[in-house]
Parts: sequence; C-alpha cells; structure tokens
Amino acid sequence: MAFLQWRKFNFFDKETVKDPETNETFNQLKEVNVSACVSGGGQLIVSDYEGKIYFISRSLQVNSFAAYDIRVSHLYQLKQSLSNLLISVGEDEQGVNPLIKVWNLDKMEKGVPVCTRITRAIPANKPTPVTCVAAHENLNWMAVGFENGTVLLFKGDIKSDRHSKQSIVYEGKSAVTGLAFKSAGKNIILFVATESVILSINVSGKDKMQTTLDEFGCKRGCSVMSDMSQDNQFVIARDDALYFYQPDGRGPCLAFEGEKFQLHWFRNYLVIVGKDAKQFPKAPIIRAGQPIEQHMVTVYDIQNKFIAYSAPYPEVIDIISEWGSLYILTGDRKLFLLLEKDTQTKLEMLFKKNNYTLAISLAKSQQYDQEGLVDIFTQYGDHLYFKGDHDGAIDQYIKTIGKLEASYVIRKFLDAQRIHNLTKYLQALHTAKMATEEHTTLLLNCYTKLKDVSKLDEFIMTKDREIDFDKETAIRVCRQAGYYKHALFLANKHNLHEWYLKIQLDDIKDCGKALEYIGKLEFEEAENNVKRYGKILMAERPDETTELLKRLCSDFKPSDRPLVDAGDLEGGKGQQSTQRAPAEQFIHIFVNNSAKLTEFLEHMISLNSNSPSLLYNTLLELYLHDLTHQPKSEEKEAKQKKTIDLLRNPQANYDLDQALVLCQMNNFQLGILYLYEKARLYQQILRYHMDNDAYDLVIQTCNSFGMQDPHLWVQALSYFAKKENLKQQLGVVLHNIDKRNLLPPLLVIQTLAHSPTATLSVIKNYIIRKLQTENDQIAEDERLIKQYQEDTEKKRQQIEELKTTAKVFQNTKCSICNHPLELPSVHFLCEPHSFHQHCFENYAENENECPVCMPENRKIMDIIRAQEHGRDLHETFHNQLERAQDGFSVVADYFGRGVFNKVTLITDSPGRMSRSMSGK
Amino acid sequence: MSYAYLFKYIIIGDTGVGKSCLLLQFTDKRFQPVHDLTIGVEFGARMISIDGKQIKLQIWDTAGQESFRSITRSYYRGAAGALLVYDITRRDTFNHLTTWLEDARQHSNSNMVIMLIGNKSDLEARRDVKKEEGEAFAREHGLIFMETSAKTAANVEEAFINTAKEIYQKIQDGVFDINNEANGIKIGPQHSPSNPSMPSGGGNAGPSGNCC
Repeated sequence: MAFLQWRKFNFFDKETVKDPETNETFNQLKEVNVSACVSGGGQLIVSDYEGKIYFISRSLQVNSFAAYDIRVSHLYQLKQSLSNLLISVGEDEQGVNPLIKVWNLDKMEKGVPVCTRITRAIPANKPTPVTCVAAHENLNWMAVGFENGTVLLFKGDIKSDRHSKQSIVYEGKSAVTGLAFKSAGKNIILFVATESVILSINVSGKDKMQTTLDEFGCKRGCSVMSDMSQDNQFVIARDDALYFYQPDGRGPCLAFEGEKFQLHWFRNYLVIVGKDAKQFPKAPIIRAGQPIEQHMVTVYDIQNKFIAYSAPYPEVIDIISEWGSLYILTGDRKLFLLLEKDTQTKLEMLFKKNNYTLAISLAKSQQYDQEGLVDIFTQYGDHLYFKGDHDGAIDQYIKTIGKLEASYVIRKFLDAQRIHNLTKYLQALHTAKMATEEHTTLLLNCYTKLKDVSKLDEFIMTKDREIDFDKETAIRVCRQAGYYKHALFLANKHNLHEWYLKIQLDDIKDCGKALEYIGKLEFEEAENNVKRYGKILMAERPDETTELLKRLCSDFKPSDRPLVDAGDLEGGKGQQSTQRAPAEQFIHIFVNNSAKLTEFLEHMISLNSNSPSLLYNTLLELYLHDLTHQPKSEEKEAKQKKTIDLLRNPQANYDLDQALVLCQMNNFQLGILYLYEKARLYQQILRYHMDNDAYDLVIQTCNSFGMQDPHLWVQALSYFAKKENLKQQLGVVLHNIDKRNLLPPLLVIQTLAHSPTATLSVIKNYIIRKLQTENDQIAEDERLIKQYQEDTEKKRQQIEELKTTAKVFQNTKCSICNHPLELPSVHFLCEPHSFHQHCFENYAENENECPVCMPENRKIMDIIRAQEHGRDLHETFHNQLERAQDGFSVVADYFGRGVFNKVTLITDSPGRMSRSMSGK
Repeated sequence: MSYAYLFKYIIIGDTGVGKSCLLLQFTDKRFQPVHDLTIGVEFGARMISIDGKQIKLQIWDTAGQESFRSITRSYYRGAAGALLVYDITRRDTFNHLTTWLEDARQHSNSNMVIMLIGNKSDLEARRDVKKEEGEAFAREHGLIFMETSAKTAANVEEAFINTAKEIYQKIQDGVFDINNEANGIKIGPQHSPSNPSMPSGGGNAGPSGNCC
C-alpha cells in the first residue's frame, strides 16, 4: 500500500505557546482536568470536571468562574452570530441530572458572564448522560444528544426558557455521537450521527422527515460540519475512510485509513486527530509513570487534495481555532500553536517542487488576485518550456494573456521555431482581444507559413465571429501572402470597399466580381470607386461597366436592395432624392472605347435631355469621328443622319463653337452648314458655298438669308463677277441688289468692272433702269427746287411790302368777337387783324403778337429752334449717319438745319407787330 | 437547476485506466495529463438532455486500487449505470474485466446498465487490446461497448449519454422502479409520478408511491 495518500506539505509552523511575560512555556492549565474546549469571541474557553470554566485571552490571561457545582461536560460556542453566547452542559447535583446553561459572554458581572437560561436536559423523564450538543447560528435551534440514542430538539430563542419548545426528534438504540445543523434553503437540517447510523432530519418540516444516510455510525468527536467550500457537508470519520454526507445521501469518501479520534474544521482545512497508521518505532513518552499515547494531527486541504500538515503530538485533548491559528491542547497540558504560512510562502514551496498545477489551484482557492495567478502561470510556462514541453507551456502562457507582456512569449517561441505553439498563443491573444496589429500580422504569417489554410479559413472566414483583430492588417498580410480569397472575404465582410476592389482588380483580376460589388455599394462609395477603377474595369469588362455607369448616372440604388425602400414610401420622399452622378465625370473612363462611350452618352442623353454640354460635345465628337472613319457609305448615311439629328435637337445643349470646330475638323458639311445657320453666320454659309462653287446654293443662301443680311447679295455679286458664264446668276443677284437698293450703281459697276466675264450686256438692263430712275429723280428734284424758289420769292416780296408800303386797316369787325370794330382798337400787320382793345387785352398773351396768328407763328418758331438745337447733337448725328441707308441724305438733312451755319437765325418774326394806337 | 430525472453512475475499472480523466473530460471538458491517484470515491455531476428532458447525471468516480475495493463496493448499490473502463494499451486491465463485472453484478441492482469502455484510444500505437476483443467481450456479457479517449474527448460525451439513453429507455419500458431510489434514479422535484407527462412505464409504480 504505497503512497495511497495525498501529497504532503508543511504549510503550518508549529510553536509552543509561551507566556509573553515570563517567556516560559504556558502551563496555567497544568492542573486543570479539561472536559471541553471551545473558542470564539476572542478567547479560548476551557471547562473542567470540577465545574469551572476558564477563559484564556490572547495575551494568555486566564480567568475562571464556577459554572456548575459538580462538573462541566460539554461546551458549545456560537461563533458566527452577533451575540457571543456560550452553551454549556454540566451538573449541579449528583446523579444523572444534566443541566443546560446559556451564558451571555458580552455581559459580565464581577468577572462572571450572565447566565440567561437554565434548562434541564432529560428526555422523556429518562435520565441519561448528554453526549453532544449543537445549536443553529440563528439562535432558534438547539439540539442535545444523549447516550441512550435520543436527540432532544429545542425550538425557539435559545437564550431564554420562555418561548422554547422541546421535542424528541430521534430515538435510536446507540449513543448519539455527533449533531450538526445545516440550512438548506428554507429548511433546517439536523445531521445526527450515532454509533450505528448516520441520518439527517428536516427539523423545520412538520413531519420532521428523517433520511437514513448510512447504516454505520461513528465514534464521538468524529463528525464535523464542513464549510462552504465543501458545500456544508457533514463529515464523519471512520477507521477506513472519511465520508461526506448531503442531507439526501452519501457524497464522496476519502479512504484515509487509521483510527481517528477527533475531527475539526479550520478555514478550508479538515483537521484529523488520529492514530498514525504506521506504527512509530519510537518508544512512547513516559510521563508521570503513565505512557502517553502519540497522536497524529493531520491537516487536509480537501478541495485541493493535499495534506497541509502532519505531525505527531502527545495525546491531543482538543484542537481549537482562534485568531486565525490552530491551538492544540495536548495531554501534558501544553498548548501548541499551528501558524499557517502565508500564501506566497506556500506557493514558493510548491514552485520548488515544480508542482505548479497544485500551486494554481491553491492560489485560486485562496482568492489570489489575478496578478499573482499570472505570475504562477508564467513560472509554470517557463518551467514547461524549459523542460521542452512546448505544448503545455503555451497553454500556461495563454492564461497569462492580458498581464504578461506578449512579446516575452512570442520571442521565446519564435526563437525556438515553434510555430504551432506560437500560432495557438496568438490565436488566444486574438480571442482575448489583446492583439495588436503586429500580432495579427504574425499570426497570419504563421498560418501562411504552416500552409494551414483550414485554420486560416477558420480564423478569417468564420461567420458571425467577433472580430478580434485589426482588419486592415489582416487584409494586407493575406494579400502579401497570396491568400487573396481570405483578404477578399475580410474586405467584403467589413465593408472595406477600397481594399476589396484593390484585391479583386489588382490581385485576382476578376473584374466581373468587382463590378458586381460596386453595384452593391452605396452611392458615394460606388461613385468614388468607379472613378478610381473605371478605366481598368472598362478595359476588361466594357459591357458590364457601361451598364454600371448607366445605373450610376441615372438613379442608383445598391443592387441588392429592393427597388423601393420602405422609408421612401412613408413620406421620406423629400429627403432622399435619387442620387445620380454627373456623367461627364466618367467620360475619361471610356478612353479607347468609343463605342461604349457612345452607348453610354446616348443613354444618358435620352434619359436626361438637360445634360451638360460636355456630354453633347463628346457625343458629337464621337459621331463625327465615327463618320470619318466609316468606310461604308450606307452606314455613313445613317450616321450622318444621327449626327445631324443630334445637332438639330433643340434640347441638345452642345457648345456651338466647339461643335463647329469639330464639324470642320471632320469635314462634316451638313453639320457645318447647320451650325452656321444656327449661329447666324450667313456670311460663312455663303463663303462655304462659294468655296464649293455651289452657285445655286449661293443664290439660295442669299435668298434665304438676304433678309437678315443684305450684304450677302453684295458678296454674291462680287463672287459671281469673278466667275465666268454666270449671267443668269449675276442677273438674279443684280436684280436683288437693285430691288433692295443695296449698292450704289457706281459700286456695282466697279465690282463688275473687275470681272473678266461680265459684259455690258449683263448689266445693260440694270444700268438702263438705274439711269432711268436717276433721271426721274433729278427731274423731280428740279421741280421741287423751282417750286421752293418761287415760294421764297413770294415771301421776299411780302416782306418788302411790309417794310415799304403802308398798310390799310379796313377791318370792320373785331377778329375776336366779330362785332363791329370800335375804338379803341388794336391792329396787326399780319393779315391784317384788328381787335377791340378790350378783346385784345383779354385774349392776347403779350402785347406784341397777334392772337390769331400766334399759334402758326409759334409752330414755325419751334421748328426753327429745334433745328438750331439739333445742331449740337453730334452723337445723334453720327448715330443716324451710321444707321441710315443713305448717309448722304442724313448729312444733307443736317446741313439743311444749319448745322454748318455760322450765323444764328434772326429770331425776330417777320410778322413783327406794328402797333398803332389810332386815336392816341 | 431543475431536472426531470437524476441518474447515478459509477465508474469502475483497474487503477490508471483513466476513470478520473473521463469524468473530468465529461464534467469540465478538460484533460489533466498528470492526475493524482483517486483516494476513495470522488464525485462529479453534469446536466444532459435526452428527448428534450433535462437529466442530471451524478457520477461516482471510484478508486481502482484493490485496497479501496471494500469502500467502493458500497457505492455500487445506488447506481443506475456503470462505466466499466479498461485501458487498451494494457492487457491486464482487460483481463481483470471479469472480476470487475462479477463484483458489479453482485453488489448492484440487477437492472444496472453497464457500458464497457476501452479508454486511451488516442494511443493507437501502443494498443494492446484489439477493438474486436472489446466488442466480443461486450457481446458475450450483454454490455454496450465503446472506445474513448479522455485526452482528445473522443466518444466521451457519447459514452455517458448513451448510457443515460439506455437507462431512460429502461424507464420507458418499465424495467426500473423509479420510486425506489436504491435503483439510482430519482425523479426531479417538479415531476411527481402522478404527473400525466410521465412516461407510460411509470404507470406500474402507481400513485400510492407518492410519498416523496
């Protein structure tokens, strides 16, 4: 039976308790016949068979008082509850007459605690010795076990007699050896151990249900309640093993062999006092003539499965725990102190033995902080690494993630070329979200180096996986390593459009996919990316690209979206107008692919006739280019028609000048002519026809546009004049010139004179007609001159008359009132007119003018004045001169107005009043 | 956590065949290469689901050492299922199966479902017992057979769950008296035998057993 035990350590330091004052071994209990020991409330409590209870303080001051007249047999201290209560069982009278006393240790009177309750403990009037006592920490339950196998339960406040009910909950055949309370939810469970059976009783339930846990029992003192770490199981010790019990059944068992005397629970340790299984060869210590048995005190850590301390002591009376230490009272009345080592020391001991696993679980159970644990993991990792167990080491290092510098680990494994382990570590690093860019790079490099595509797949492609790495780095590394698929996946998943397209186009060269992808993007993204990659795409996939561009420039919607967004229908219309990209920005993409550009532009224009001029210009250019390079004539015609249609389209918003230049460059006559016409460049049209010697067209042009620009005719004239044998045309031209009076005949003659061909016969008619007209004009003018001369003569005579001859006023009637003239009267020389003076004074505006003639005179005076005034209006003159068909007549007109007169006109009217005041 | 049934298992077999590791793998999903000797009987539990029913497995992991045999025997009694484990790399552990089986049959209730487990299947290179031999033994004694690896976790889940399925089937067939806790089966707190959702096999237990 080798090593059928747990590992043994020495986690406790043994000290003999010494009196601090005398520095001698504590021996004040030397004469005490100890019956029971408990601890709590900062003191050790010992009772003896003489009825005394001793309190030992930390500084080893011993106080005692007589609690019973005869003896104290049992003590029970409530440790966790607030009130510091001590329950004792003893006897005041002879015979079997056990008495329970409850002491309140907080209230001392003259060094004696107040006794709050005295109760007789006699079940069913059958006196029997008490074997054990237990109380629940809530102070409402107390149980007493008896030698005859009876368990007496007290319910109600244990401090006082009054509200307490007692009942017998169990009657067995063998002595009760252990009692313990446990709270399980709302139920209060009482564990009962007798010498022959272990059972649990639900004392809070009405029927006090009993569950027999085992058919064998335990000795006195060999049962204890474990703590939370062991789920408050009831532990009993038997010679073959330790058994753990739940209220409903047996739990695990630990096969620690050997006879056991006492069981204690200290913190998370189980302390067993027993006989060493192995017989010591040492002779038993002889004291006072009596051999004292050697007992083995063993401290077990049940949770972590090791023995924390084990040492022999001479006849242990009891073990008490207080002030965080264990006190062992031995048969020779010595008090030993077991001090637990601090966790650090313990761990160091474990490290020395390379027992890291245990160190870790120990540290965990000691609520060791994270940093401390990481330290252990690191040491463990280092140890395993040193031993060459790289797999194990990395597992430990992974646990240090977040605390230990990752580079420490990485360097170790990089140096050792342990890429597998490194990969694992890096993966964990990523899962813990502690990875930096470099880590991601490194991990991906590891994958690629290992050629572990499946892992890479898992790392990158796993869907719905949280991203714990830097995406861009990952993409970059994947690209570099040639894992385009992965890079692509990442880019796609994380909407890194730029990356996606870069990879798709530069690395994979799958333009179709790229296009499809762009089509799914949001508008702005799509636009930008098309601008960036349009050329490549166009070169590879012209059709699809064109389609995409068409969509982009009309009303773009990501292709994987329903045509109509729900939001749009719900009245968000105003906000989200369809987005379209300006088509002109994409024209450059179509370099070298004019057919597609044409298609695109046509689509755009048909979609939106209001497109910018650049579109039309480009389209026109394309058409023209096509036209020039089109060898087949039939197609050429169709193209021509298309082109001209475009030009004629009133909505086509092309740039006129540019269009013209384009047409000229490509020698597209129809277009040129149309554009001339549109631009009102009639001269150009004419010149064009002239250059092409299209005589009929020249005439036709003159006819069509002569109204707008009469000079066309003149040009036509000089053009025809230079040509030979064009009498007919010349005639037409001359006729028109004549009709519109466009040129003075002299100029016509001059023009024709240069002509080598125009014979007199051509212009004979013209000249004759012209001369005839001139003659008529001259005759007319002469007639007018004559008439004016006569008028002038007449006026002169009149003036002379007025000046020289007397004027007889013969009027009999007043010119105003038509009544017979009476004196006083006023006469004017003009007609002559005569007026009554009073009439004259009433009507005349001034004395000098005849009221009858005055309006006429005024008119004349105004004309004269206006003429004089007009003299100074040079600008008007020039203006009129320029605009006038016949400048000469304007000059003549002004001349007539006396513009060039130096002498000012005499303002005195010829009808100057001569007033005669007849009768005066 | 509430459950419909609680099944008690026991794991038996020679020392060092990997009983504790199987349990650790099943309950904690981890593998400890260095495992201390089991002293006595240890305990583990896990919830599984069969037919949509939550079933709690309470597993007793016993020490394989001959010297603990008397202690471990006392645990046979309340078990509904047993995993009899041998090590495929050690023929002697296979040879001892008969003894173990006799022991189990003698101390347990007769209906106990026993599964034969050939553990350490990851150590194929060191294999000493052929799979066919295991199968033959199982056939001969009416056991379910499976090879597992506590290290790689291969078949570990299946071993425990298949045993549970077998027990569940036996309950359905009315073989087990579910009201006798000595059979290692316990009905969950909210499932009283009078519950109409009870499997038909529980009918023979009768409502009279409704004391617990």
